[in-house]
Amino acid sequence: MSIYLFIEQIINGLIIGSTYALIGSGIALIYGTMRVLNLAHGEFYMLGGYFVFYLAVTMGLAPWIAIPAAVFGAFLLGMAIQRTTIHFLFGREGWMFSTIAATLGLSIFLQNAALLLFGEQFQTVPYYISGIVELGQIRIPAQRILIFVVAMTTIGAMTYMLKYTRLGWAIRATSQDRDAAAVVGIPAERIYMITFGIAAALGAIAAAMLAPIYSINPWSGLPILLKGFVVVILGGLGSFPGAIAGGLILGVVEAVGVQITSSEWRDVISFGLMIAVIWWRPWGLFGSKPS
Amino acid sequence: MFQPLTPLKWLGILGAIAAMLILPAVTQDTYLLHVLILAMVFGIFASAWNFVTGFAGLKTFGHHAFFALGAYGSALIGINLGLSPWLTIWLGGLIAALAGLFIGLPVLRIRSMPHVAIVTLGFAEIVRITLSNLTDITRGELGLWGIPAFEGFTLPVVGEVVFSPADKVPYYYLALALLLLSVAVITALMRSKTGLSLIAMRDGEDAAESLGVNLTRQKLQVFVVSSFLVGVAGAFYGHYISILTPAAVAGVDLMILIIAMVLVGGLGTLSGPLVGALVLTILVEFLRDLDTFRMLVYGAIIVLSVMFLPKGLVTIGQRFRRQPQAPATEAE
Repeated sequence: MSIYLFIEQIINGLIIGSTYALIGSGIALIYGTMRVLNLAHGEFYMLGGYFVFYLAVTMGLAPWIAIPAAVFGAFLLGMAIQRTTIHFLFGREGWMFSTIAATLGLSIFLQNAALLLFGEQFQTVPYYISGIVELGQIRIPAQRILIFVVAMTTIGAMTYMLKYTRLGWAIRATSQDRDAAAVVGIPAERIYMITFGIAAALGAIAAAMLAPIYSINPWSGLPILLKGFVVVILGGLGSFPGAIAGGLILGVVEAVGVQITSSEWRDVISFGLMIAVIWWRPWGLFGSKPS
Repeated sequence: MFQPLTPLKWLGILGAIAAMLILPAVTQDTYLLHVLILAMVFGIFASAWNFVTGFAGLKTFGHHAFFALGAYGSALIGINLGLSPWLTIWLGGLIAALAGLFIGLPVLRIRSMPHVAIVTLGFAEIVRITLSNLTDITRGELGLWGIPAFEGFTLPVVGEVVFSPADKVPYYYLALALLLLSVAVITALMRSKTGLSLIAMRDGEDAAESLGVNLTRQKLQVFVVSSFLVGVAGAFYGHYISILTPAAVAGVDLMILIIAMVLVGGLGTLSGPLVGALVLTILVEFLRDLDTFRMLVYGAIIVLSVMFLPKGLVTIGQRFRRQPQAPATEAE
């Protein structure tokens, strides 16, 4: 294998890793704010993909209208799901387990609802942009560059939002101390709902960007959920910057690992990496050891 | 929960066991026995998962890995080495227990429930993908067949006992024996010092540890015993069904089924998983015609039981009765 092909694979790893980071940051956002581990997060990705497919392919809308509309749809869906299920469990006895169990049930429910509604055939979306970017011997499709740019811009915007806007302050305040936040007038319940909506929207953005290169199908949620979990374990659960670094690392490790073995071992490599990290640094690669 | 049983409760338990023992004398309907055999296999799995999750407070979501390891382990040893299933089901259990030790060690060092959930789920995926990729050994998703059946034997009064697909009665009694054995092991452990520390641990981990309870060792013990029981259940299942695919025994759908059973029956109770396994296995058979809705229904059952039935079916009676389980009434 030529060195150029190898570099291409690393770049591809970074590109796919940037979407893993998007998924991981959604999981980290919900966990960081509510201490809820959302096992239905993959289903936001899966449904987001179908939203894009129906808007962009079936209805024939331009991608720049279809994608924001699909993302907004996912945002509303995320809020609705939080309000109808998690909201009632939160704070009850044993809620930490019951929310995990409930989101697992939701996940399997949504997956099979999608199977009934959309059928079992694999769908795909045409490339948003054509062309190939050449850097000397290295050739990368422009579509893949777009994925990386959109993912990184989204994460950058999220980081800005969390740091500098009133909504971001409210989310961070609620995550630090819900009661104290309530004292100064932050409506925690509404913040939780919005957080769920934002996380779902992040999943839908990842789905929109990956839809042209991966297929959209009812089962696509679980594999991407597990990738998101690896990301948050690598980066430290609940840490937003950790999720970004974790996503990129996972993407590169997978790309190199697949070169050494073969693509059917890709997921074994990522879960193996996760278990190795748990052995070595259970609090994540970048987090600090909890006292 | 584990106080000495009242005579009435003893009567109830013995009555249930007697009813299970007599049943094949009343009906030998192949289909009915098949459903009950599955219910008992799932009952072992559910009880063992509840042992870890409900009693020890370790919320794992990857126990189907142990079911698959037991099933494939026992079947492959039987096929390749020609050993009898009577021996290999225990070897299958041992393989599952070793895997439980391997994954239990890192998991138990972590206090965080989400980490435990994620790592166990990831481990189960590794097992599923490995089983489906190693096509030379397992035949992957095409399915492993040619799994040896249990050898028959001759009993003094009953006569010859033959394990064949046509006659479910021997399998029924074997499944019942394994179920009773599993429940006995779990009960015995829960009544020992281990059980007391488990309950203490579940109700307040830091407090228990400050009183000198060795958390990691107790939890590891429970985890390994539970993996072993699930592995034996999986091994029996393999020799009974006689075809295995990674999707069927290592897919997350199986774990979801078990979680639904335990949550419906009652997490953290002894009879809950058994009641849940029976109720849901029968429910599935009613839904057989609506096969596409099966997993949809399971998903809904989990969500609804978590929301509206947080303590499960078996505690409904207590909720309507006025006297709660206060310490004062336990002295009777």
